[in-house]
Amino acid sequence: MKLKSLSRFAALPVLIIALSVQAHDPKEHRQDAEKPDCKAMKDMDHSKMDMDDPVMKAMMQKCVKDGDDGEEDSHTPSSATDDHGKHGVDNKKSSEHQH
Amino acid sequence: MASGKLLSCVKCLLAIAVIVIAGGAVFLYSGWYPMGADVPHNRFTYWILETLRERSIARAAGDVEIPMNLDSSDRLLSGGADYNDMCAGCHLKPGKTQSDFTLGLYPAPPNLTRDEHRGGINNALDQRRFWIIKHGIKASGMPAWGPGHDDERIWNMVAFLKRLPELTPEQYQILTARGDDQAEHH
Repeated sequence: MKLKSLSRFAALPVLIIALSVQAHDPKEHRQDAEKPDCKAMKDMDHSKMDMDDPVMKAMMQKCVKDGDDGEEDSHTPSSATDDHGKHGVDNKKSSEHQH
Repeated sequence: MASGKLLSCVKCLLAIAVIVIAGGAVFLYSGWYPMGADVPHNRFTYWILETLRERSIARAAGDVEIPMNLDSSDRLLSGGADYNDMCAGCHLKPGKTQSDFTLGLYPAPPNLTRDEHRGGINNALDQRRFWIIKHGIKASGMPAWGPGHDDERIWNMVAFLKRLPELTPEQYQILTARGDDQAEHH
């Protein structure tokens, strides 16, 4: 009986400690996080880019999300995760327009 | 006669073992071995430690199961931001060739922006990277990220590492900048 109540007393601090141990939270970095420099995409050689490449898709995704100083309509369509093949063509066209 | 020879041989071996152990203990407690990170190990010690490390990691990482979708853009974005926060100081980023950590740590952390594995599918390398990120490496400066990061997040970093050597500094910046919206990736 004594042991049982003792273990309850021990369980509480253990639980509190366990809850306070959290993963490295990305939010910690948001205050000093730099913004993606999407303007640099304009200087890249678009003819050599494969629009189906995950790196390219990720960059488009990132720059669409960040709005790229209001030029997102000329960069990408509404969603970066739908038909990327089609995007590729559209994006190529739009980037040719821009540059 | 033969048993007498055998006995003396055993005694001789025992004496050698005692001398070696005593010598080792004297060396151990003497403090003669240079422990500063600015003095490299001798070749023998380095070989012993490197072999121990490589064999241990290869054995432990062999059972790690690789997810199917390592080649996804979401993984690159999530893993890239974490790499930049947690790894780039030691393992560098495109356009950088050294940092205070690469100069000062011993053994020097590998430069992960170099493609020393010639790309392509390399399951053993993926398993190895996942295991090292998750468990760290003793006495090397490489921490175990497993306690604070789930497996998915670690696989995202592995996915990013696969593409890192191909990235230009501009691409790296875009992929790794957290901006305002990275929290939702985790």
